[in-house]
Amino acid sequence: MTGPQSSAQLDAALQALVGRQGPVQVAAHPVAGDEIRAWCGVMGEANARFLAGDAAPPATLNIWTMPDRLEGSDAGRDDAQPQHAAYGLLDAAGFTGVVATNSDQAYERLILAGDVLSAQTTLAGISAEKQTALGTGHFVTTEVAYTDGSGAPVGRLTFRIFKFRPGTGRGREEAPQDPGVDDEPPRRPRPRWNQDQAWHWEGLRERELRIQRFTDSGRLVHPPANADPVTHGMDHDWVVASGRGTLYSWTAPEHPQVPGFDYPLVVGLVELEEGVRLVSNVVGLPSDQLEIGMPLELCWLDSHDDVTLHQFRPAQPGRRDGTLRRGEVAVGDRLPPCPVDVTRELVVGGATATFDGQDVHHDPAAARAKGLPDVIMNILTSSGVVARWLGDWAGNDAEFRNLRIGLGVSNHPDDVMTLTGSVEACEGDTVTVAFAGTNSLGRHVHGAADLVLPDDGRGG
Amino acid sequence: MWTPARQTAIVGIGATEFSKDSGRTPMQLATEACLAACADAGLDPHEVDGMSLFSMERNFEIEVARNLGIPRLRFFSMVNHGGGGGCATVGMAAMAVHTGAADHVLAYRAFNERSWHRFGRGVQGHHQSPEANDVSYSWTSPFGLLTPAQWAAVFATRYMHEYGATSEDFGRIAVADRRHAANNPAAFFHGRPITLEDHQASRMISAPLRLLDCCQESDGGVALLITTADRARDLDQPPAWIAGAAQGVAEDQWMMRSYYREDITGIPEMGVVAEQLWAASGVGPSDVQAAMLYDHFTPLVLPQFEEFGFCGRGEARDFIADGNIEVGGGLPVNTSGGQLGEAYIHGMNGIAEAVRQVRGTSVNQVAGTTNVLVTSGSGVPTSGLLLSSEGG
Repeated sequence: MTGPQSSAQLDAALQALVGRQGPVQVAAHPVAGDEIRAWCGVMGEANARFLAGDAAPPATLNIWTMPDRLEGSDAGRDDAQPQHAAYGLLDAAGFTGVVATNSDQAYERLILAGDVLSAQTTLAGISAEKQTALGTGHFVTTEVAYTDGSGAPVGRLTFRIFKFRPGTGRGREEAPQDPGVDDEPPRRPRPRWNQDQAWHWEGLRERELRIQRFTDSGRLVHPPANADPVTHGMDHDWVVASGRGTLYSWTAPEHPQVPGFDYPLVVGLVELEEGVRLVSNVVGLPSDQLEIGMPLELCWLDSHDDVTLHQFRPAQPGRRDGTLRRGEVAVGDRLPPCPVDVTRELVVGGATATFDGQDVHHDPAAARAKGLPDVIMNILTSSGVVARWLGDWAGNDAEFRNLRIGLGVSNHPDDVMTLTGSVEACEGDTVTVAFAGTNSLGRHVHGAADLVLPDDGRGG
Repeated sequence: MWTPARQTAIVGIGATEFSKDSGRTPMQLATEACLAACADAGLDPHEVDGMSLFSMERNFEIEVARNLGIPRLRFFSMVNHGGGGGCATVGMAAMAVHTGAADHVLAYRAFNERSWHRFGRGVQGHHQSPEANDVSYSWTSPFGLLTPAQWAAVFATRYMHEYGATSEDFGRIAVADRRHAANNPAAFFHGRPITLEDHQASRMISAPLRLLDCCQESDGGVALLITTADRARDLDQPPAWIAGAAQGVAEDQWMMRSYYREDITGIPEMGVVAEQLWAASGVGPSDVQAAMLYDHFTPLVLPQFEEFGFCGRGEARDFIADGNIEVGGGLPVNTSGGQLGEAYIHGMNGIAEAVRQVRGTSVNQVAGTTNVLVTSGSGVPTSGLLLSSEGG
């Protein structure tokens, strides 16, 4: 088929599709416990209700009607669906790149194992051609109503994707590589040591944070000294720090900005659980989210070819035992920040667990062909990870009413996304949490969710 | 106690103008300041036979002595650790003249710390040998803690956390200093007071330190002349008697990075100085009418009030409120404008202002000044002086 010849023709053809509703699409299989558990495994979801496989996390709303096998990006394309017809027109016009940008899910009831869900999609809108950092393209917005086998509503989804022409992004051209010029990037100041402390720096190379221990007294000293300050014993070995600590003090240097450092920069004075303090960097959190005493965990930075530095990031928050009560929450409360290691396994496994066959989520070469530097996390994984973290905070019996997220920069493998959030509103039994997830490129995800919390259990 | 109280004195003070570009060499500034101090005292510079320096001084005594034509120099020393050594140069000089090692000793600081290089750049590009002092920066520099402001900021954050102090509390130090500087024709910020709003609006340098929490590098020179009671009587100025002089280093001391002590909200090395000054001089906080407290960064001024016993731990924010440290208040501080307002001459200008307060010649004179406290660098191995109008 030959596509429209001009952008005006394309726009007209696209706009003709807007407002159309496609046929009802019935899931090929019922919601199944094994697939719920696979999703929980990838996202780190630990709610016992879901792990039992009887009910599905609400964030899975739109995965059950996806094509159920990885059959490539065109799997399940059906031009009777207006959004599929639009994607076909856009592909033909060269807008072959695709990223999801928004997902607003609203939940009517919990999805249960055995449910056979149906989806009916309305093409809600197609934007004029826009220039974004990724390229020129069109935003396509769909609205999907999910129902169960009896036709009763289960949830609704407003979903937006951006179809773009690869290679038309702003300022994303890779700097040309000139092998003849030695343009080493600036490095941080190199630590200098002598034989009194070499063991410490050698330990960091091996990803061990070694703390000096004087053997006669057992005293830990950092930075290392030549003698125990009390006994004057000089024999020492080291203990390997657990990597757990708390933030004792900090500063965020802004002026001068020194080559070799990425700003904003946070320098923290970290008190290790072993009892000694050290100066390090606190990564993943803007300084306005720092709190003295917050738990931190060790991570690493290879700053030079032969130097590794310790770094610290917010400690993984644990899952709440029980459920947060409405009376325990107030507007302005912060959720515990949560670092998420964006591994290749999470990106690819997340796409698989959400039945998302788009090649940009599992095939690096295909991603590059579409103007991306590597595979990208899909929006359903971003939603799943956020929902898991919100659930860890709120507890097993918190009920999600909705989950509204927008995506910014991509999550690529080998990055870390740190989730932060706070309570925006409390209305009746419902609390609204606003959140953001930031990686090394900027903000990947932002959004909000309404959760219903049980009351304090008094008086009734 | 270094020397008997009130038996030695600062008898001459001299200074160049303070600027951001002196247009002259540091050696020229040192020579001018030293000659001015001798002229102030009415002493023939050839009578000087001692020189007392502190480190980071690049105008060595042999060259200044050559410029002054000093025929024999019998005492010369250099106290380590930069800005912490300012008051100690006077203490060393007092010991020298008291013991007879020398008769007249000059102490000075002169540099182009603004126009020739920017001192505030800290240890960026610092050459690191494997010697212990250089290695000590490996615990901080690779993490981006490179400048004095950044080092100070780590203490400030913790102080705020423990005592509820705020950026505005820090700002009140700057406001007081700039008010005093505004009335001082010699101050770099003469005629340019600031408000607390100005302070709060100034850009962040290294949170929680704002621009107006930080002194600005200066070009200039200050010299002091020290001698004994006997000789002081023959000179032109009323002596500023040295009622106490002391140095201090406390447990687990680092240069601006004493982060590993159990508590980092105090300045215990300043406490070591305070204890000695009160013991040597026989006076206490309530006997002091004015104080020149080292103010390169405002947050490190607050604990000084606490270390010297002007108020309890964590109470400095209340002590400085309501103009208590401005002229007319209970303890006027940094009446020439301090390093935030007058010039950053590593505290030597504060000693000169203390001499003026004792003489009764400050532009912001405090009535009935008998005892004036002076401190040197905070957060580093430090020193202090108690100067008095009574002695001899």
